Amino acid sequence: MLASWKQLIFQILLLLISCRHINTTSPDPTPPPLVPIDSLPRDVRRAAFKGEGQIEKVELLNPVNLELVCTWTGHQNKESNITGFWRKDGLEIENSHLTVQLQNEQYQLQQVFNIVSEENLGNYSCVFESEVKIDFVVAVPQIGEIRDKPVVTYVGDSGVITCKMEDSKPMPNTWKWYKANGTDKEEIFAAAEPQRYEIKNNERKTKLLVNNLTMADSGLYYCGAVYTLSTSMGHVELKVITYYEPLKPFMAIVAEVFILVTAILLFERSRSKKNDTEGDMMSDQTNTLSPGENNGLEGSSSMRQRKT
Amino acid sequence: MEERHTCTDKSVLDMTNPKPKAESQSDEAEDPDGGWGWVLVGALFVSTSLVFGLMRSLGIFFVEFVQYFDESAHAISWISSTGLAAQQFFSPLGAALCNAYNARVVVMTGGLLAGLGLILASQATRLYHLYLTMGVISGLGWGLVFTPMVATVMAHFTRRRTLALGLAFSSIGLSSFAFNPLFQLLVEKYAWRGALLILGGLSLNIVPCGALIRPRRRSKAPAKVDSETGSSPVSVLRRISSYLELSLLSERPYVTYTLGITLLNVGYFVPYFHLVAHSRHAGFSEYQSAFVMSAAGASDILGRIVSGWFSDLGHFRLIHLLSAWTTLAGVFIMLLPLSSLSGSYSALMVISLLYGFCSGALTSVVFVVVPLIVGVERMMGALGLLQLIESGAGLLGTPLSGFLKDVTGNYVASFIVAGSFLILGTLTMATLPHYFSCTDPPPPPQRSSLDDKHNGLHSELEHMTSSPSSDTNHRV
Repeated sequence: MLASWKQLIFQILLLLISCRHINTTSPDPTPPPLVPIDSLPRDVRRAAFKGEGQIEKVELLNPVNLELVCTWTGHQNKESNITGFWRKDGLEIENSHLTVQLQNEQYQLQQVFNIVSEENLGNYSCVFESEVKIDFVVAVPQIGEIRDKPVVTYVGDSGVITCKMEDSKPMPNTWKWYKANGTDKEEIFAAAEPQRYEIKNNERKTKLLVNNLTMADSGLYYCGAVYTLSTSMGHVELKVITYYEPLKPFMAIVAEVFILVTAILLFERSRSKKNDTEGDMMSDQTNTLSPGENNGLEGSSSMRQRKT
Repeated sequence: MEERHTCTDKSVLDMTNPKPKAESQSDEAEDPDGGWGWVLVGALFVSTSLVFGLMRSLGIFFVEFVQYFDESAHAISWISSTGLAAQQFFSPLGAALCNAYNARVVVMTGGLLAGLGLILASQATRLYHLYLTMGVISGLGWGLVFTPMVATVMAHFTRRRTLALGLAFSSIGLSSFAFNPLFQLLVEKYAWRGALLILGGLSLNIVPCGALIRPRRRSKAPAKVDSETGSSPVSVLRRISSYLELSLLSERPYVTYTLGITLLNVGYFVPYFHLVAHSRHAGFSEYQSAFVMSAAGASDILGRIVSGWFSDLGHFRLIHLLSAWTTLAGVFIMLLPLSSLSGSYSALMVISLLYGFCSGALTSVVFVVVPLIVGVERMMGALGLLQLIESGAGLLGTPLSGFLKDVTGNYVASFIVAGSFLILGTLTMATLPHYFSCTDPPPPPQRSSLDDKHNGLHSELEHMTSSPSSDTNHRV
């Protein structure tokens, strides 16, 4: 009997030790707790299945209890019970399988998710019978009004990059700027380098001024609209070029103008030389004729007198 | 009755009375209609596109300026207003310099200044730099280019003047079609600084256009300037006033015509500024409104060329044609808001096309009437003064229409007022002497100077010795 007790204690001890190791965080993102925390506000979003590839956008600013409701009218032969489950970012959420009953000619799947931090944002899908799917893209408001063409500036000049959150979307708490460094983003702190960077924030608009540009300042810049849940990013490319770039076509045009003017003036000079020699001959003729003309005039007037 | 008969049988008149033809030949001495005249039409085409076509497409830069200089759109729009105002203000100066010296030097200098203004603008660091460079310097250059070139081209033609001008002015519409995407490309590639630098280089192309102007063999200068070459202030002032043709301001026909054109200008630009906004207001989409504007621009180009060709056929007097086009344009401007009130896009489109055609048609004729009123000799100064005086109208017209829109809430009042100004212009022109006769009045007498007889004999001798045609007459 003592031996069996010892065995039991030993097994319990073994169990406790191994349980401690079980308690580690998994490398995969943790699925949100399926139990709602009552202190957060509740946000309900509904969607009815319309067709394949249906995506619903959910814009959130602050932590909420997000309740997503999916409804589906089902196939021709409507079974009374079907299975449904939820996915996040393509991965099945554990313990989310439910049996859905047909109510009022449709099936309804609903679930409350705890959106408290950036990890909770993503693509939530409700799935009926592994075939009918509605996606909910849960994210902070995206920056819409942003320049898609690169901003071109010159070495030594100053460059301005603007980011704006549309009036229809909620205002961010603040703005942050990042510069791309390889694949990473480095935050730009204007206070650290006041001569080079200047950030002007204006609720919906933010401006980054970069003074005294060098070629190294070219690259991608990210503006981040900071909300409580997360930061929404937009990117603009800054291109720094030297003055030689436009100078090349400019000098080509100036050369063309110069050549044209010279050609025109030379052409005219050669023509006028030809005309001058002709003109000399003409003026000789007129000179010899002018006494003759006067005679002619007098002659005609005398003729008239004779006629009358 | 007899007069009406001669109107339609003008060819009969020409054949039975060869005298007018000889007069027109002596009017332009060496150059007949054509030949080098058409080369100058090409030069006018290029320079007009680089002046007005460029001015119209500057809007592409405004977005960049607003962002770079952190100023309001209103402050930025003053750049092109200053440029246009400078071009019109310095027109008499350009005309006077041409009378004093020769047109070639003036136009080439103007081209250099226009290019220089834009090149300097590319270095601007503050907004007022742009006002001074793009506005004043380039505007001065443009003023020295436009009026002299128009007057020179008109002096090279008699029978085909309107067609020549119509062809040349079609460049404004065509070039603004071409410049808009070009400027967009330049700004994207080189930013506004590099784009302005390249534009300055392009503007320098006005210089070879000016080089094409041949100095006139029959020098007008001795006939114009009084034989007294003293440097006393009185004589200097008199010479300046003769270069500027200020004496025109005391002549009723010229003043009447200028007044008519000024009234025309008050209403002329209103649709150009407000048509797109009015279409949006009427409920059409952005794309539809922009398309209406482009369609009006295209019919404008067509109208210029067709009106030029038609006017030179000689069926009607130019002043009557001008009145007709102006009245029609005024009527169509007034119809513009009424057509869109019904909500029909096709009605708006048709009226806009008709308006575009008529407004283009009248621009070809406006300048050509001037030498018919003041004579070819004084045309240069007359054009300069006309540009200066009509500039005031443009300054009045657009703010007035904006004010009417703010007060009434829509564009109906603005357009009706604009159209009525055009009709007022026509009525003013109807008070010109000989308006209701079928044939053009005889060309005005030469301007009398102090040494009447001396100059009269002087110019007659010049006629005899310089023009070979008159020589052959005497020989025979």
